[in-house]
Amino acid sequence: MTDKAIALENLHLSLGRGPARVHILKGISLSIARGEAVGLVGPSGSGKSTLLMTMAGLERPDSGRVVVDGADIGRLDEDALARFRGRRIGIVFQSFHLVPTMTALENVALPLELAGAEDAFERAEAELAAVGLAGRLSHYPAQLSGGEQQRVAIARAIAPNPAILVADEPTGNLDETTGESIVDLLFALKRDRGSTLVLVTHDPTLAARCDRTLRLHLGHLESDAHSVAA
Amino acid sequence: MHGTIPANPPSKPRRFALPLVLRLALRELRGGLKGFGVFLGCIALGVAAISGVSSISRSLTEGLGKEGRKILGGDVTFSLIHREAGEAERAFFVSQGRVSSMATMRAMAIAGEKGSGLVEVKAVDAAYPTVGDLVTEPAAPVADLLAERSGAFGAIVDSALLIRLDLKVGDRVTVGAATFEIRASLVSEPDKVAGGVGFGPRFLVSQDGLRATGLLQPGSLVRWTYRLQLPPERAGNADLERVAAAANAAFPEAGWEIRSRVNADPRFARNIERFSQFLTLVGLTALLVGGVGVANAVRGFVDRKRASIATLKSLGAPGGQVVALYLVQVLLIAVVGILIGLCVGAALPFLVAGLFGSLLPIPIAPTLAPAELALAALYGALTALAFAIAPLGRAHDVPVSGLFRDQVDPERRFPRGRYLGILTVSIAVLVTVAVAAAYDRRIATIFVGAAVFAFALLRVLAGGVMALAKRLPRPRRATPRLALANLHRPGALTPSLVLSLGLGITLLVTLAVVDANLTRTLTRTLPERAPSFFFLDIPNAEAARFDAHLQAIAPDAKIERVPMMRGRLVSLKGVPVGEIKASEQVAWVLDGDRGITYTEYLPEGSTVVAGQWWPENYNGKPLVSFEEKIAEGLGLKVGDDIVVNVLGRNITAMVASLRTVEWRTLGINFVMVFSPNTFAGAPHTHLATVTFPNGADGARDAAILRETAKAFPAVTSLRVKEALDAFNDIVAQLVMAIRGASSIALLASLLVLAGALAAGHRARLYDAVILKTLGATRARLLSAYALEYGALGLATAVFGLIAGTLSAWYIVTRVMNMGFSAELSGAVVAAALAVVVAIGLGLAGTWRILSQKPAPYLRNL
Repeated sequence: MTDKAIALENLHLSLGRGPARVHILKGISLSIARGEAVGLVGPSGSGKSTLLMTMAGLERPDSGRVVVDGADIGRLDEDALARFRGRRIGIVFQSFHLVPTMTALENVALPLELAGAEDAFERAEAELAAVGLAGRLSHYPAQLSGGEQQRVAIARAIAPNPAILVADEPTGNLDETTGESIVDLLFALKRDRGSTLVLVTHDPTLAARCDRTLRLHLGHLESDAHSVAA
Repeated sequence: MHGTIPANPPSKPRRFALPLVLRLALRELRGGLKGFGVFLGCIALGVAAISGVSSISRSLTEGLGKEGRKILGGDVTFSLIHREAGEAERAFFVSQGRVSSMATMRAMAIAGEKGSGLVEVKAVDAAYPTVGDLVTEPAAPVADLLAERSGAFGAIVDSALLIRLDLKVGDRVTVGAATFEIRASLVSEPDKVAGGVGFGPRFLVSQDGLRATGLLQPGSLVRWTYRLQLPPERAGNADLERVAAAANAAFPEAGWEIRSRVNADPRFARNIERFSQFLTLVGLTALLVGGVGVANAVRGFVDRKRASIATLKSLGAPGGQVVALYLVQVLLIAVVGILIGLCVGAALPFLVAGLFGSLLPIPIAPTLAPAELALAALYGALTALAFAIAPLGRAHDVPVSGLFRDQVDPERRFPRGRYLGILTVSIAVLVTVAVAAAYDRRIATIFVGAAVFAFALLRVLAGGVMALAKRLPRPRRATPRLALANLHRPGALTPSLVLSLGLGITLLVTLAVVDANLTRTLTRTLPERAPSFFFLDIPNAEAARFDAHLQAIAPDAKIERVPMMRGRLVSLKGVPVGEIKASEQVAWVLDGDRGITYTEYLPEGSTVVAGQWWPENYNGKPLVSFEEKIAEGLGLKVGDDIVVNVLGRNITAMVASLRTVEWRTLGINFVMVFSPNTFAGAPHTHLATVTFPNGADGARDAAILRETAKAFPAVTSLRVKEALDAFNDIVAQLVMAIRGASSIALLASLLVLAGALAAGHRARLYDAVILKTLGATRARLLSAYALEYGALGLATAVFGLIAGTLSAWYIVTRVMNMGFSAELSGAVVAAALAVVVAIGLGLAGTWRILSQKPAPYLRNL
């Protein structure tokens, strides 16, 4: 097994069709080490989210190579990719995206069930306890606050013990205090599990907490800075 | 630390009782059935229609089966036309069990100056009624009511005769040479159904009474029925067959029709089945129309669930698993709809029996019909699957990236091959089941073809309207521009609206045009060309005198007279008719006895199309001329031999020619016409028609009836207008049933329409709020929507008129074999009404939207 969590080689990606087609990622190459925390920053439309989605196997590049946790995900068919994502990658969304008809416990158990784990509910319960929601197991998303919903989403993302955790503006929909506690949680879990964390953010404070900050501009990697603190 | 996920997950979770997909589907369904109202309604309505029709039909057949002994008046009956059973035959009956006999015939009841009326005479013996009860008013023993007292026999008559001739109990009437005193009116007779549909009211007398009329002449049209009650120890179903076989073996030339209690009225049972199959097709139409509602609902469902679908995929669920998960949900909801439909359908016969049981002319035994209910459920499930799978298949390709960025206009792709495969298979199974389960596969196949054609055509029409709206120059004014844009924009209502409204209007127009043609043919065309009277049972010896009588009282009329007798086909080309599988259209020819005639010359209205008409004074082997279509259906060609039983004698004749016959003139014509030498010397009666050049005339007709009844009491007069009125009543009842069933299909299309409009309201809301913010008044928005719905309605109505008229033409000319006339006034009104309803429905929903304040919506847009 390699010590690289993610390796991208000369990545090009366009979206849209015909005259509306836009070249979003323009020849990006980078690698992220295991256990590293990386912040993706840049102005709107610079390609941060698209780059994150490509790393998570949610977008396929026009050309270039994406190797995640040792697997060349360009070679996986769609179903294999879905299963790969389910086990190796945890995703945290800005808008949480909990399934509204399922309780907190069921939401967290969902990826484990999809992966065929027999102890899905026991593990989900432990994960919810780990994010401080032991008393909210049978609550539906609509009965939880924004911060609590994001904690459930983080518990869900971390539950299958993914090698890589990606987060798209995880505090974007939260107030400052709640946002801070969520960030603390995310970094604590990353540290405890030894996961690699890649997050997109507009928040310079959050970016500064990462080991490394990648700045994108118009689809190019503009800078790659390692944090002094790291 | 937590456990790890197995590298190769087990295909079946061992710990959970339910499969993962079902478990997740049930969790997702906690969100309730919101947005599935139309879906549930469509499936429930279609399944209720189909299961209701088949349950009622089954209950009627069960009723006939259970009450078979009562209807028949015994376990086995032998019925003979023209003649009574001979000594040996009677001895055979007596050897098998208790026998009771009955004679039925048509006759004229004459009430002096009050006039005369056609009656259905039933002459019974002392044992009557053998099974069940005869209810009379006043109630008294049957023997007393029918006995001869002070020069008159007793009669129990249908109250219809009392009303028609202004008679009351105690009055006297004559039939033939006998006088009858009306002793009671008939309330109900247990064996009414077995007698079939009669043209006149019942006239129940004793057999002595009938003999006294003098109407029982050789060749007169009387039917003798012998009812056998088998001893209880020998009355099993196998015994019924044994008795019938023994009877046929002992008397191979008897020419009788044998019925048993398990098969009391095969013709009636078959008619029930045939009609219910037709109504099932109408129910299937409702289901197919509802399918559009299913597809719309599922499309909306997938759109609403895009975030959940994408989330599941982001958590590792492959596309196929996601589709399976939502398919399970849709099918679970379909099961709810099917169960509602089945409950309604299964309850219908009980409801009908409870509410109308005593009014029905036939016994109904409310029955739970598991096979029929299962078939209806299968139809419902297949329709749900066929219409849901394509929109559901799109869930496979819902991109997870939608969770990161807003997808303004989700790309509409064709579903993947596997979902198209499921679609094809489910439609194929649906078609196969519909055709296989149909009584008349030809009609079912036509129905399937028409349905597929209509769907395809409406899809093309919708595409055409959208393409046209796209290419039309943009109007300068905002209102028509908005209307035009609404017609073709992505996610426009056009396809679903055109489909639901188009199917509804097509159905309405078809019904209206068929109805108009039926009414026209029955009420206008016929009387002008048809005879005014039929006279039956004219004794051979009095034929010439009868001609003179008619010429005297109707000098300007055209009079036709032919010999007539009844005969049963025994075998065709050496094959007994019982073993012949004739096509559905001609099977009736082999059922029971048919009127037959002989003539030297080719009858008017007939044209020989194969073979030769026999020469004058022909005296060789008996010959017969067959109606061409019937010969074709029976597989007969010129040169083939047939055997027909007339008056207890088997006669072999060779098919000499085939004729085409103009039946609609209602002139005298017969399926089988024999050469005169065939029946030389056989006793028979004559049938005459009187045709006036200027049609019916009440006063003149009444005079003819009166004079003829006075001069020839033995002759039965049938006024065609009355017979047609009776026939019209039956047709009107059938049309009512068809309209009832079709209204369910229309209701389904209305439901789909309302559902499609409601689904479009979200986009309307967005438009309305933005436009109102920019200063558009409600009136302006409303007129834009009215313009849009109006354009759609108009295009669909024009299509519906054309398609409906074409399908009506097909039904009228090909299925009903009648002439077609484009009677479109009713159809145009129906189509216009449908458009008005559609526009009204659309605007009603929109008005609610327009009345909303923009601010709360703008915050969420």
